Amino acid sequence: MKRPGRGIACMWYPIGFTVAANPSSAVVKVNEDGTATVLTGTVEVGQGSLTVLGQIAAQELGISADDVHVVSADTDIAPMDTGAIASRTTFVTGNAVRLAAAEAKTILLEVASEMLGMEPGELEAADHRIRAKTFPDKQVALAEVAARAQIARGRPPLGSASFNPPTISMDPETGQGKPFAAYVYATQIAEVEVDDETGEVEVLRICAAHDSGTAINPALVEGQVEGGIAMGIGMALEEEILFDAEGRQVNPNLTNYLIPTSLDVPRIEVDVIQSYDPLGPFGAKGVGEPTLVPTMPAILNAIHDAVGVRITDLPATAEKVLMAIKERAEVKPLGRG
Amino acid sequence: MHQVEATVNGATRRAEVSPETTLLSTLRDSWGLTGSKLGCDVGDCGACTVLVDGLSVNSCLLLAVQVNGREVVTIEGLGGFEYLHRLQTAFERLSSFQCGFCAPGMIISAKALLDENPAPTEPEIREALAGNLCRCTGYTKVIDAITEICRDRAVAVEAPA
Repeated sequence: MKRPGRGIACMWYPIGFTVAANPSSAVVKVNEDGTATVLTGTVEVGQGSLTVLGQIAAQELGISADDVHVVSADTDIAPMDTGAIASRTTFVTGNAVRLAAAEAKTILLEVASEMLGMEPGELEAADHRIRAKTFPDKQVALAEVAARAQIARGRPPLGSASFNPPTISMDPETGQGKPFAAYVYATQIAEVEVDDETGEVEVLRICAAHDSGTAINPALVEGQVEGGIAMGIGMALEEEILFDAEGRQVNPNLTNYLIPTSLDVPRIEVDVIQSYDPLGPFGAKGVGEPTLVPTMPAILNAIHDAVGVRITDLPATAEKVLMAIKERAEVKPLGRG
Repeated sequence: MHQVEATVNGATRRAEVSPETTLLSTLRDSWGLTGSKLGCDVGDCGACTVLVDGLSVNSCLLLAVQVNGREVVTIEGLGGFEYLHRLQTAFERLSSFQCGFCAPGMIISAKALLDENPAPTEPEIREALAGNLCRCTGYTKVIDAITEICRDRAVAVEAPA
């Protein structure tokens, strides 16, 4: 008989790591046609970080993301980055990009202030223009400012910056400190069906609410969460590296190391919770590794809800679940609470 | 060595291959069509999926000599820089892929499905993609894109002329 169950799990997760310094650097140059180029050492592996870094530079410079060209992952030309690891790129590299863009913008505002006869502090970059904050009609095209800065004023609009997240070392007496600059939070709920005659677990639905700060690109945040949950389902129910007595892996390919297919991953509903982190670039924190943290406990709690057994050794294969059901049945038959 | 002649993406292609050469390595190494990916090379992952006479197959499991005289369609046959297939447009619009390694095979499997069944249900879509493994997306936005295409087409068919 298939028995339904629901489980919930919550988590917090730190953004970046804290073993040593955790810096990222970036260079932003504004070109004379009003486009910008970002140089970064970070690596895009499909998560969309270059899109997000381009959006951050564009927002700071008041231009569109389409006008930002991001050059990455070439250590011959790009400045140092600690890496596309630890769910840190949006927060740490994003801050470096934002600071570098702000430095380039400072030059643009100073040159524009001469052109408009106003103080730099009275100006802002928005909508491909440098304009007066209080009189938006008083404006000049950003491309014109960039060209003038370079050709007439001899000050190419260029910025470079590094960001290393601020942390507080642990006080040896009190044990208090702040090891990470930002933390993210999430809750996931899993709905499962457990066949109490075979032990097979089917995940029917997962709902996930993730606070990642202000989502710079909500579609990419959803994609990260959905992908993380798929990995979490694999970790919860089927993925396991098996070794023989000599230490050789006995399931070294996808025939017997099973990862979830389109038939194993259910509907995933993602709720991107918007918050604002004062240290993050435009309020953003991060999303990456944390996406699969609550998936396994939510599924295991759902199994418990369905058939009353606690699986504490991943993955919860059908054999393990069935064995646990049988052991429990000796103590307390199913269906009697 | 064997002579192979096949229609690949509408054009006649020829190659001289040893008997054990797979269709995938002929596509990639002899004909320069590197859109089909070499993932597991044993028919598990689906990154090498192509159409042979309209049916989706793992090109790593098919010998090149087996396609002699037959019609092969790869991801390069669906679209290019000037023109994208409606499946590719939908996948792009919904950010369906992340690293993109599974994308060519996934799109070919989706095309095979829609060619045979223009209005699949979600379980039918999931069944059709079950041979294409993806480690990034959780399949969610891939299924959303295919569902959207079917819905758009259904609306177009139902709309009065």
